[in-house]
Amino acid sequence: MRIAVTGANGDYGKLLLPRLEADPAVESILVLDTKEPEGTRKVEFHRVDLTRYDAESELTDALTERPVDALFHLAFLFGPILNGPLAHELEVIGTMNVLTAAGRAKLPRLVVPSLTATYGARGNNPALLRENSPLFGCPHSRFVNDKVEVEGQVRAFRERHPDTHTLVLRFAPLLGRSLDNPATRLLTQAVVPTLLGFDPLWQAVHEDDAGRALHLALRAEVAGEFNIVGRGVLPLSGLIRQAGAQPLPLPGPLFRAALRALGVMGAGTLPVALLDYMHYSWVADGERAESALGFVPLHHVKDAAAALRRSQS
Amino acid sequence: MTKGVLGNDPFQRGAAPRTDDAREDKAAKKKAPASKNAKGAKDSAGKSAKSGGKARGAKASAKAAQSPKPPKAGKGRSTDTKPAVTAPKTPAVAVHKFEARANGRGATSESPPKHEERTAKAPHTTREAQAAGKRGTPPPSRGADASPQASRDVSGTPTGKPGHGAPSSRTLAPAHPGDEPALLREPAAPHPSASGSPPSRPQVFAEEVHAVRPEERTVDRAMTEALAADAAEAAAKTAVDELLPGRPGQDRSIERVLATELVAELAESAVRQVLDDGHGIASERDLATLVATQVAEATAGVAVDEVLDRQATAPEERALSTAEDGDAHDLDEDEEEVWTADAWQRDPDSVPVNPPEEALDEDEGEEEEVWTADAWQRDPDSVSPNGSQAADDLAEGVERGEQDGVHISVSVIAGAVPTNVEPEVELPDESHDELPPSRRIPLSLVTDDAPVRRDEPEQGASAFAGTEEAAQPQGFAGRAAGMFSLAREIAGQALASEGLGRAVGAMHGLMEAVRTGLGTGGGSRLDDYGKDAGLVENLQPVLDFLYEQYWRVSVEGVDHVPRGAAILVANHSGALPYDGLVMSQVLQRERPDLREARWLVEDQVFHAPMLGTLFNRLGAVRASPENALRLLDEHRPLVVFPEGYQGASKPFAERYRLKRFGRGGFVKLALRTGAPIVPVAIVGAEETSPLLGRLPGGFLGFPSLPLTAPGPLPAKWTIRFGEPLTMEGLPPESADDLGEVQRLTEQTREAIQSMLQALLRERRSVFAG
Repeated sequence: MRIAVTGANGDYGKLLLPRLEADPAVESILVLDTKEPEGTRKVEFHRVDLTRYDAESELTDALTERPVDALFHLAFLFGPILNGPLAHELEVIGTMNVLTAAGRAKLPRLVVPSLTATYGARGNNPALLRENSPLFGCPHSRFVNDKVEVEGQVRAFRERHPDTHTLVLRFAPLLGRSLDNPATRLLTQAVVPTLLGFDPLWQAVHEDDAGRALHLALRAEVAGEFNIVGRGVLPLSGLIRQAGAQPLPLPGPLFRAALRALGVMGAGTLPVALLDYMHYSWVADGERAESALGFVPLHHVKDAAAALRRSQS
Repeated sequence: MTKGVLGNDPFQRGAAPRTDDAREDKAAKKKAPASKNAKGAKDSAGKSAKSGGKARGAKASAKAAQSPKPPKAGKGRSTDTKPAVTAPKTPAVAVHKFEARANGRGATSESPPKHEERTAKAPHTTREAQAAGKRGTPPPSRGADASPQASRDVSGTPTGKPGHGAPSSRTLAPAHPGDEPALLREPAAPHPSASGSPPSRPQVFAEEVHAVRPEERTVDRAMTEALAADAAEAAAKTAVDELLPGRPGQDRSIERVLATELVAELAESAVRQVLDDGHGIASERDLATLVATQVAEATAGVAVDEVLDRQATAPEERALSTAEDGDAHDLDEDEEEVWTADAWQRDPDSVPVNPPEEALDEDEGEEEEVWTADAWQRDPDSVSPNGSQAADDLAEGVERGEQDGVHISVSVIAGAVPTNVEPEVELPDESHDELPPSRRIPLSLVTDDAPVRRDEPEQGASAFAGTEEAAQPQGFAGRAAGMFSLAREIAGQALASEGLGRAVGAMHGLMEAVRTGLGTGGGSRLDDYGKDAGLVENLQPVLDFLYEQYWRVSVEGVDHVPRGAAILVANHSGALPYDGLVMSQVLQRERPDLREARWLVEDQVFHAPMLGTLFNRLGAVRASPENALRLLDEHRPLVVFPEGYQGASKPFAERYRLKRFGRGGFVKLALRTGAPIVPVAIVGAEETSPLLGRLPGGFLGFPSLPLTAPGPLPAKWTIRFGEPLTMEGLPPESADDLGEVQRLTEQTREAIQSMLQALLRERRSVFAG
């Protein structure tokens, strides 16, 4: 079984590659990235820059030259996005390139990660969001809205290419010692400002669970979207405490203004958009992943947060 | 106090009906004491302990009673226990005897020799001898006269023996304050008697009945003894005070107290002796006082010696006792302080001693309070069910106390004295009897009426006043110290009290609720809907209070709620939506067989800071078809308020008039899922938080902010569940038939409205129900 992976050096790639390496059924891993991952045995490295104008043909060549059984499109950004347009280029245009190439190469399987944050945190959300809930995204967040756009592309691709097994894994915030994403950055602060009077429910996925879910997608019989969430929920304040930090409730308007000011000065560590997620719950229902994908989370949200705490010390 | 006694006495509860047969059965009677005996011993102990200053005297006498003949006492004790377990007749008799003896001594005397035994047996005997000599009676005589009585009793003259022994023992029994422990232990006693003879309890009652007659006498006697005790104390104190300063040593205060007690005890036992032999009551008083004083003075020297001696020989004891002694007594503490401290410390040990509620001491209300508290605190321990141990416990308790070195005196006996003093003791007071234990326990601390009642018997006792004054010279420092330790005692008791514990728990829950509302609560036991089981648990005391005492929720027809998925449609009312919470409580309490219910609240609540968060944690779910379907799929009862925000925001003038029922969403839901609709009428919520006006609340996402009472008002709630409307025969597709939906909506609405009107008609008062 040959697997192709984009974004192998990102958080998802780091979680998935070791599992693919360890999977005896996987003969080789075609890494399509700007940089070769370290310490791997099965990897065939093919340098592709998804943001380049010629990325699509590069990809098509790479995929048709030596056909692969599955493509993991993991090239998404989770670090602090300082260059918004570049991020958009990579995520949206890059995905477009990947999807086009995948269509041309008649890929049997395509796996794309997404976020439960794409549902949007809204007061009107049902208690548990199912996969068919509309993706409202987050009005101010490029980070989230790019993912929403990607999802739209993937859905369109799936409709046009019913032969390709397309899976979208919507991850709750990933927590783990090796990860760097808005949630971990938020929770590794000593004091985490929150919104006074609100304590939304948060979910989280332990990194091990996330890697397992990605790996499971390799053999899943079903296609479509799956919410990948950890066991249980925690209120934000509880999550913060579990992660070893202290919540500091601030009145909303003040908090917002402060974050904006910091953002303008370039010192912002928290995206303003995160406020929405501190305001309302966005709890996704992981039932489908469990029944259809066979993904049963081993770690409770608490454990995920606690793992974060251990990694800090 | 008396109140407490009557109220707590389990014997009296049963006594009235059973007396007759009991009286008839003599054999049975003999046995009765056996069972009672443990009790008697115990509560006499308790009583004595309680009786404060006097108690000390009583103690002394107790000591005197037992210490001279340790073998006897031991025997008595052992018998106590035995009959419970094995005991056929003989042991019972023995026990009875023992008891009679004890009681005969003014019911005061059972207390084992507390510190005397603790310290030095030899000196003690000597002292005894001396005391006895003074009295002109040999020490054993006490036992001797007791035994005659006992034998008399045994021999079947159970009825109104005016003799000291019988009557006092009788009085003792009824007087038992809170006999819970005894009561509990009782099960052990019946075993022996199970063999054909009637159960022991009735006999006890019989005795009580007989006792009524000689009661006056008993009372007098008790009073006399009390008087004597006081006199003895006063005298002892003076004598000891005089003696002590002359001696070397550092810890004057402790020694002073010890010595005083010793002396007082001796004196009192002497008095009792005299009394036992004496006849005319009136003269007895003077006589007793006289004797007491004399004996006290005479023995002071010995006592001081002994105390000093003891202190020297038992340093470890000293060490033990210092802590408490230290606080209890600065130089001039009066007895009360001693008592307080003593009682306090003894508490843990003295399991056996029964709640001595009726400290009849004549001294201060304070003392009684202390005692009551003490007794009360002890109660939990003494409830321990092992009956056979009762007597042993008693002994052990005493000994333990001795070992501690802490307690100077003993608890056991004195109780009887006070008991006798109480004229009301014998009167069965049904109303009080009905008080459940839970009611009794918490603050009997301050018993207002007790002092008043006590006054009556004391009137005749002029000498008493004198003795009281004798103690006064202690000065303000002593008073202050006394008050301080008393206050500490009360505070300690209060802290340990169940009620306060609940209050603290409730506060904790409320604090957590506030923190949750603010968004810092954390919480780790949330389900997917956001309900925090931990928070609800912590708030349970508050919810219980609201439910049971504040709103006094009464529920009718809750059986109409079917198992499985059901839609409970209720009227929304009040400016703040307490009704959902109450509904969930109702179902949780009344229908534990159902799955946990949830209630749907309008979006606005969820947009509101704090309130939304808090409600969500308490189990509210945002009203949306997805949530409702999911909840029904889980076979939960689902509480909906179709009036929605409109319902909660109607002005007070329009209370209980149902608004439009939304768009019939709940009916569609019912049609789709087949879940029956149960109409529910809630009365009381409107008055709990009446909507007095509105404030613009747009900035919080509310159409308006309700202006209501600052907190929930104590209106009485009544919740009535109506007949369920089943969806049988209606296909799910009819959910799209607006006419059908409309019809069912209206039907539900009318059912609720008519129930509301019925409830309102039946209601006479908003707050009283």
